[in-house]
Amino acid sequence: MNRRALLAVALLPVLAALAAPRPASAAAPGVLEARFESRQGRLSGTVDLTPAFPPDLERLLGNGLTNVIAVHLALAPARGGDPVAVWAREIQVLYDVWEETYGVVVRDPAAPRGRRVTMASFAELRRFLSDVKGAALGPAAVLGTETWVVTARVELNPVSKELLDRTRELIANPSAASRAGGPSRSVLGAMASYLLREPPPGAEVRVLRSRPFVAAEVTSR
Amino acid sequence: MIRRLRLSRFERVIATALVLAAAVPLAAGVWLAGRLAEENLALGLNPRVVERLRSGPGLYKDLFQARKALYAEQARGIASRLPVTRAAQQRWLSAEVRRVPRLRRCEVLAPGGAVVAEAERPAPEGEWRDAVARASLAGGGELECTFLVEARWFADLDDARELAETYEGAAKLRPQIQRSYVRAFAAILLAWALLAGLAGAVLARRTTRRVGDLVAATRRLARGDLGVQVDPGRRDDELATLARSFNAMVREVRESRDRIVYLEKISGWQDVARRLAHEIKNPLTPIQLAFQQLENRLRERHGEDPELDRLVADAGEIVKEEIGTLQRLVEEFSAFAKLPDVRPEPADLGEVVDEFVRTSPQLLEEADVEVVRAAGPCPVRVDRAMFRRVLANLVRNAIEASRPTRARVHLGVARATERGVLTVRDEGPGIPHEMRARVFDPYFTTKREGTGLGLAIAKKIVLQHGGELAVGAHPEGGAQFTIALPLDGI
Repeated sequence: MNRRALLAVALLPVLAALAAPRPASAAAPGVLEARFESRQGRLSGTVDLTPAFPPDLERLLGNGLTNVIAVHLALAPARGGDPVAVWAREIQVLYDVWEETYGVVVRDPAAPRGRRVTMASFAELRRFLSDVKGAALGPAAVLGTETWVVTARVELNPVSKELLDRTRELIANPSAASRAGGPSRSVLGAMASYLLREPPPGAEVRVLRSRPFVAAEVTSR
Repeated sequence: MIRRLRLSRFERVIATALVLAAAVPLAAGVWLAGRLAEENLALGLNPRVVERLRSGPGLYKDLFQARKALYAEQARGIASRLPVTRAAQQRWLSAEVRRVPRLRRCEVLAPGGAVVAEAERPAPEGEWRDAVARASLAGGGELECTFLVEARWFADLDDARELAETYEGAAKLRPQIQRSYVRAFAAILLAWALLAGLAGAVLARRTTRRVGDLVAATRRLARGDLGVQVDPGRRDDELATLARSFNAMVREVRESRDRIVYLEKISGWQDVARRLAHEIKNPLTPIQLAFQQLENRLRERHGEDPELDRLVADAGEIVKEEIGTLQRLVEEFSAFAKLPDVRPEPADLGEVVDEFVRTSPQLLEEADVEVVRAAGPCPVRVDRAMFRRVLANLVRNAIEASRPTRARVHLGVARATERGVLTVRDEGPGIPHEMRARVFDPYFTTKREGTGLGLAIAKKIVLQHGGELAVGAHPEGGAQFTIALPLDGI
């Protein structure tokens, strides 16, 4: 399976979440400031996710634990319907309590193996997280005469595959969680671990939506 | 194959009962597992505990900041008291490096960064990490102090972070973990119930196969097949007991039927014997009287016709001999026809045999009789007089079968299951297999002078005792008659 296929598989639940009709009680999405440009026939977007990263997030991101932020941008017709393009970025943030800096690992289509960046302050980190430039949103030709919107979905600490695997290992072999962890494995735990497959729906999700735009508003370069 | 796998109704009932027996606690078990998982997860993933774990790196953060502040303060203290001259600075720094705990190195840097004075001491044993604290000097430049921080703190921090992340993730997945535990428990219980059902079906099959054999045997019995028998198997359980009882019952029914049939047949023959005796006996007396009158008349004329005298004398001999033969035949027929009913009384079979041998000198004159008795009593109910007749007939038969040599007769008494067994064996030529079925038929004999009634009478008497009389061959040769009588008091 190539990288694109892997990405597509990983994005399936996100696509479903983005396309799913929202319940009446769901909070209305915030406004997403976005600019679009077409370069060599490819549409890319620059969006400002600042509303998704409020200042009080410093407490969470500076807690010394690894925090994961999943950002998904979806290009979809303004009248509704399935997205025609999705862009994803996963950001791991670990605050170094000795150096007092933020270590960031970014994975996106441009750097699938991860790109490491160090931020000296939360303000710098917040700017980095909020400012998404050149998000690839597929061929510009797809825009046609339709009116489109870009929806940004920012999820804090989603249950990743790694976390699921780590939790499965924990319940399969609880003693391994301690330093003196032995090789003993629980049969019931192993079965429960095998059956633990479904990640829970995201709890901390912020959704922003751009104003509708048409192809004429896209800057060509 | 499909028929073999198909369960009978009984097997289905047993398997269903076992599955139900396993499934009823299963539901309770699953509910209990849900509660247990919930309680255990609430205990193991207590939000307060998870929160404390989450705050672990924050504590290290506070510790590190406090340590950094302390080192910065110490660096400022050293800088404030730093002498002016370079030589004095060197001495001062050396003294401070020795005095201040965890201070490994001190450097006085000129404003351009050149090292003016420095002092250093080797790091103590263990793993350490450098922490640099700087302080500005009054005359320009700065003092750079390198302190030591325990490296294990960072390893502990990594551990605390990893543990906190693991438990935070598990806490986030708590409902899913609980569901997976319940499902795992249900799957194990379900597998257990299926195994129980399978075991039940297998066990039921082993039992029902034997029950099925019994049912089939019962049907054959109902169709009149009294030769049917069921294999009780090697196990000693209720079904084996039932099979043995069935076999015993069939055997008894067969013996009873054979007994009834034989007695009816004997009864018919007795009737024939009575008529024959009557028909033969009636004309015998007139014939005898008429012939005596003829002899008397001719005796008065004795000598008149010597040839007639001789003819009459010869005829008289023949007539008397034949009349005597007929009279013996009549007597035997009459005796057979008038066999009395037996009146059994308690007796020991061995003692009855001993008494017979002791009180039958005429037989001992004609044969060597050996008696072998098994140890212990052999209580039966016999009509001693009638049974003596049985023994006499059988021993007589053995003596005649052994002729012309002197007979050797072996009498054996033993106690079998519910039966007292008496065997009468000779060392004669034995009875051919094809003739054994007929030896107890009345008037069947292979001897020239026999009437063929002795064995029939013996069998009738034995049957009237509720016993069995069978003929066979002994492995060492000769015929063997076996009498089996019910044990008394069983």
